[in-house]
Formats: sequence, C-alpha cells, structure tokens
Amino acid sequence: MATSRFQAFLNSPIGPKTTHFWGPIANWGFVAAGLVDMQKPPEMISGNMSSAMCVYSALFMRFAWMVQPRNYLLLACHASNETVQLYQLSRWARAQGYLSSKKEEEKPSQ
Amino acid sequence: MATSKLQAIWNHPAGPKTIHFWAPTFKWGISIANIADFAKPPEKLSYPQQIAVTCTGVIWSRYSMVINPKNWNLFSVNVAMAGTGIYQLARKIKHDYATEAEPAVASE
Repeated sequence: MATSRFQAFLNSPIGPKTTHFWGPIANWGFVAAGLVDMQKPPEMISGNMSSAMCVYSALFMRFAWMVQPRNYLLLACHASNETVQLYQLSRWARAQGYLSSKKEEEKPSQ
Repeated sequence: MATSKLQAIWNHPAGPKTIHFWAPTFKWGISIANIADFAKPPEKLSYPQQIAVTCTGVIWSRYSMVINPKNWNLFSVNVAMAGTGIYQLARKIKHDYATEAEPAVASE
C-alpha cells in the first residue's frame, strides 16, 4: 500500500520527475532566504527586492491556482513567501523611519 | 488585419485578460529591483536571496515551457532573473574574495 502510493506519486504528471514539482521547490528557496535574512539587521534588507517580492507572490498565488495542472505546492509556497516578505518589508520600513511619524503622532495623544 | 491580430492577442489563453499574463509581467519587478540594487555596495547584498533568485530563474525557465498554457513571458522574465542573480552573486563573491586576497598580498 505504502509502496504503491509512493509509486503513484513518483509517476504522477506533477511528481518529482517534472518541473511542476521542482519549480515550486526552487521557489521555496525564496522563503528560506527570507527566513535566513530575518536574522540580519534591517539595514541589510533591500526595500526594492522585498516590495517586488510581495507583489510577485500575491499574483503568483492566483497563477498557481489557474495554471494546468493546478499547482497546490506552488500556491502554498507563495502564500508562505508573501508572509515572510511582508514581515521583511515592515522591518525595512521601520528601520527607514517610515513608521516613526506614527509614533510621533501617538506621543501627543498620550 | 492589425485589428484581428490584436483580437487574437486579447483572446489568447495566456493573454492580458488572464493571470497567465499579469503574474509574469509583475515578476519583472524582481529583476528590475535587482538591477536597481546594482548601484548598492556589495556588502549589502544577501547571499541566500541572490542564490534563490538565480536557482528559481533557471528552473522556472524550464517550468514555463511545460505548463498549460505555455508561457513565453514567464520564460523570458526567468531568464532575466537568472542573469541578474548571477551578476549580483559575482559582485558579492568578487568583493568578499578580493578583500581576502589583499592581506595575502600585503604579507608578501
């Protein structure tokens, strides 16, 4: 049973013998890279790259859903990447001072 | 003639009415962001991110050709992405190893 199930996965039209599998696997590299970069100081973050990544992953979640064959692995990957990159973007924005005006506005009200 | 050509593009299964057109189009944003970062000092570059950009570009060039509908826009943006990723990695590696080389020269 387990053997035949693995065999079915191996020979699936979206299995590891095809780029329908390896394409998304490569994309998980973005998620891993984002996670690694969370350990680095905000100055290391590229605002250009993080912003582009956020837009890109949002659109590709839709793409993954619509492409034939449908690619759930890719959809999950881009949802994860969207989360990671939004966090990176918020760290970058905070470091650049874009969110400090909010803090300054909050002070008078306190 | 021109009208019917535009009509064909408009109604293509990977045309501008579909996500198959817009997703790759915005993926160009990643290559453009990388090109914008060419002006940044190499020490600010991230190895994991640039390696991910390069690997994804290479593998997705292939993936673009086997999905339905076949997507030349996606193919070309991934080739560009691989190219910009490789260039950025080259800059950073050159910067890191050149720094190491200098002390060796100084010691001679």
